[in-house]
Amino acid sequence: MPLKLEELRRTREQAREEARLRSGKVKDLMVCCGTGCVAGGGFRIKQALEKEIERRGLKDQARVVGTGCNGFCGQGPLLVVMPEGNFYGWLKPEDAPTLVEEHLVHGRPVEKLMYVSPESKKPVPLLADIPFFQKQMPVVLRNKGLIDPERIEDYLARDGYQALEKVLASLTPDQVIEEITRSGLRGRGGAGFPTGIKWRVCRQEKRTPKYLVGNCDEGDPGAYMDRSLLESDPHSLVEGMIIAAYAIGVARGFVYIRTEYPLAIERLRKAIASARQHQLLGERILDSDFAFDLEIREGSGAFVCGEETSLIHSIEGESPEPRQRPPFPAQVGLWGCPTVINNVETLANVPMIVARGADWYSTIGTPSSKGTKIFSLVGKINNTGLIEVPMGITLREIIYDIGGGIPGNKAFKAVQTGGPSGGCIPGSLIDLPIDYENLQKAGSMMGSGGMIVMDEDTCMVDVSKFFIQFTNDESCGKCTSCRDGSEALLEVLTRISEGKGRQGDVEFLQELGPAVKDASMCGLGQTLPNPVLSTLRYFQEEYVAHVADKECPAKVCKELIKYYIDPDKCPGCMLCLKNCPSGAVKGESKHVHVIDQAVCTKCGECLEICPPKVAAIRKVTGKEARELRSLEAPIPVKEWRARRAQETRAREGR
Amino acid sequence: MSCEPLRSQPVGAALVVGGGIGGMQAALDLAAGGIKVHLVEGRPAIGGVMSQLDKTFPTNDCAMCTMAPRLVEIGRHRDIEILSLSEVQSIQGGPGDFRVTVRKRPRFVNESKCTGCGTCVANCPVHNVVQPLEPPRIELEPAYREQVAGILARHRHRTGPLMPILQEVDAALHYFPEGVLRYLAQETGYPLAHIYRIATFYSAFSVVPRGKYVINVCMGTTCYVRGSQRLMDKLSESLGIKPEETTPDMKFTLKSVRCIGCCGLAPALTVGGEVYGKLTRKDVPDILHKCKEAA
Repeated sequence: MPLKLEELRRTREQAREEARLRSGKVKDLMVCCGTGCVAGGGFRIKQALEKEIERRGLKDQARVVGTGCNGFCGQGPLLVVMPEGNFYGWLKPEDAPTLVEEHLVHGRPVEKLMYVSPESKKPVPLLADIPFFQKQMPVVLRNKGLIDPERIEDYLARDGYQALEKVLASLTPDQVIEEITRSGLRGRGGAGFPTGIKWRVCRQEKRTPKYLVGNCDEGDPGAYMDRSLLESDPHSLVEGMIIAAYAIGVARGFVYIRTEYPLAIERLRKAIASARQHQLLGERILDSDFAFDLEIREGSGAFVCGEETSLIHSIEGESPEPRQRPPFPAQVGLWGCPTVINNVETLANVPMIVARGADWYSTIGTPSSKGTKIFSLVGKINNTGLIEVPMGITLREIIYDIGGGIPGNKAFKAVQTGGPSGGCIPGSLIDLPIDYENLQKAGSMMGSGGMIVMDEDTCMVDVSKFFIQFTNDESCGKCTSCRDGSEALLEVLTRISEGKGRQGDVEFLQELGPAVKDASMCGLGQTLPNPVLSTLRYFQEEYVAHVADKECPAKVCKELIKYYIDPDKCPGCMLCLKNCPSGAVKGESKHVHVIDQAVCTKCGECLEICPPKVAAIRKVTGKEARELRSLEAPIPVKEWRARRAQETRAREGR
Repeated sequence: MSCEPLRSQPVGAALVVGGGIGGMQAALDLAAGGIKVHLVEGRPAIGGVMSQLDKTFPTNDCAMCTMAPRLVEIGRHRDIEILSLSEVQSIQGGPGDFRVTVRKRPRFVNESKCTGCGTCVANCPVHNVVQPLEPPRIELEPAYREQVAGILARHRHRTGPLMPILQEVDAALHYFPEGVLRYLAQETGYPLAHIYRIATFYSAFSVVPRGKYVINVCMGTTCYVRGSQRLMDKLSESLGIKPEETTPDMKFTLKSVRCIGCCGLAPALTVGGEVYGKLTRKDVPDILHKCKEAA
């Protein structure tokens, strides 16, 4: 009698039964407890709701569940009331009594806490009606916001570990690999290597032991899907890893996770513990002969450790520098043994592919890129958050339909994908369908899926400089081309952004970039010039403006801008003077103020503080900055106005 | 040194003392000028300290790549005579006509016949193995003893124990005191240089003491585009320290950190595990105040 399997099925049935009994009678308040919402007070809101429900004796009618990341981080902290799916955002603990009173007691959804559509300015009560969610297709994140990530029962009730049961009961390892190969699943970490092929290579290696590593060293700035995945549904990774281990023939696995993600580490640790309890990890998994165990290894803040050979060295405790490939880790990896390293998102796809079949999976996406991809949509965008969309969706759909456009109706300038290895895709390519090949052709890459939206206020030279600073800092120093090449790129970019650019600098960047790409060994060096090269390709005129006209069109580069007080508008209210941290603003009450450019640190405090209806302060750059003459010293507003009036009269008289 | 007057007919030879990189280059330059050179070196071979270096300051050039061509050229040069295992005993005479006595210690091998094949080394029945002195045992300072010993006991038998050990020590002590690193080297068997390399490679580790509160300002792209540099400037100004520095009262350390994955909250920072998001410069005094109160 297969005891453990029976027990697992019983637990699942019980959990489902519970859910059935609850439905219709009990409302589930799904409070988002992902890192973003927790920072905004998610746990406090959860406690406040629990207390309020307890106080009103509604414990039989409502249950508060702390879920993982819901995805709509821009609205956090947030709450979804199930089963109806009422969505509330921007909550505070003080809102708990109103919510309980109105929604739970009287059954009246609370309008003032709902999501407000920016177009119609009307509140949208249901999650399903919010455009942010409408074009999404949750496959990997199917359980986000619907389960308590710390309870294995919730995962089981939503068909969790059924794929594993199927694999152990009816599929050989080769059949699993065949299925994954047929599904067209490709690595979600960036390069997009076909997962099935990687597994097969490792399976065919004769040497044992073999290892499996889930790579959650999500170093790309602006990408946080792996963190979110672990926070909202850690068991999907555990299940994916067990299936992968079975297919490849591995007995020991590691999850390498960034130390910057404490909540994700904690949830994964709990998930592994409860999986062990149910004999899903360890010896004789679900009474089969298959054994596998999982261990967490933490990183310590080094971007290069996301590179697979470097990651291997880091786990081993060696110095975390990449090494030459081949041999690939699938042949020679951890402690010299064959090792498969997959991104966390890739592994989390596996249970769904096994459960629903490769045929179903391969209907999603484009011919070369199958399935869905999680993107983090961040930067200058209205609906910040994590989205899962089918491959082949256009940028326009992502930015305008899901993302709700750019704040303040500013112009969409570019979107940066692929982190420091990727590039900027300009507004002109907004109808580009997103898949691995198209992004590559556009000079960027999929990367781990960060999408940083930039508007007209973003300077492309500054952005390239930022990325090169990052890679220059994170370069391990092994290859001269990467170590010194990034240094040289940075030097020139800094020079350009400071208005000291020379003739030929742009050409130099164009020449050095490809040289660094060609001569470096690992992915970091091979891709680090991408941000520079792609911005050069699409925004060369901005570089030229910096070099030739000493002008920063986006008015970002400090050395090329000036803050200027328009004497015609300044009422002498002294707000900017009081708030200037460096004492550069001169003036007194009812006097036209003047900024002493020699003292000004260009922090922009004055521009922010100047009331919008006055709007006397503006940023100027280039020719305008050089030619604009401000007053020598503050003079009374009345005197200035009189002088202006006189001038006007003189002009008209003539 | 008192010098006798220069003779009208100088001797066409020079003596270079020391066969390091400087001596080698001097010898080559002299020989290129047509002067016969005697290169005196105290050790069995020329090359000096540079032969032991990997890279040289400040250009980071490979040391061996710099000196190997010179070594070869000196070996081949007909006008350079290498006097290895030799020491200068006395110098007489003056510029243009020195008389130098060199004492050469025996090599026990006929240098003119030896081809450097290495067969004798392999076949010598007596191997002189260097026996280094037993290094003194390092004891931990009492303040750390219990914690560090406990961490070691938990992890030392794992495969790949170094990272978990360093991570826990860092979590407990907030930095790596030199004595602790030496102790870990002794106990784990990893060379100290290796441990030091790891301890300085990762940005989460530090070998200098850090403050009670480490303020990690996210400098990820999203936070950067949303103004985290200005947040950093404000913090820097309020605390009176630069990024990566610690206040003199050991309360605050200011650090920039790569993306903390809170892009929805940009710009964000963390203090001791607590995330603060959607910040402006106006929030800075509040955050600092909160920490001071907690302390």
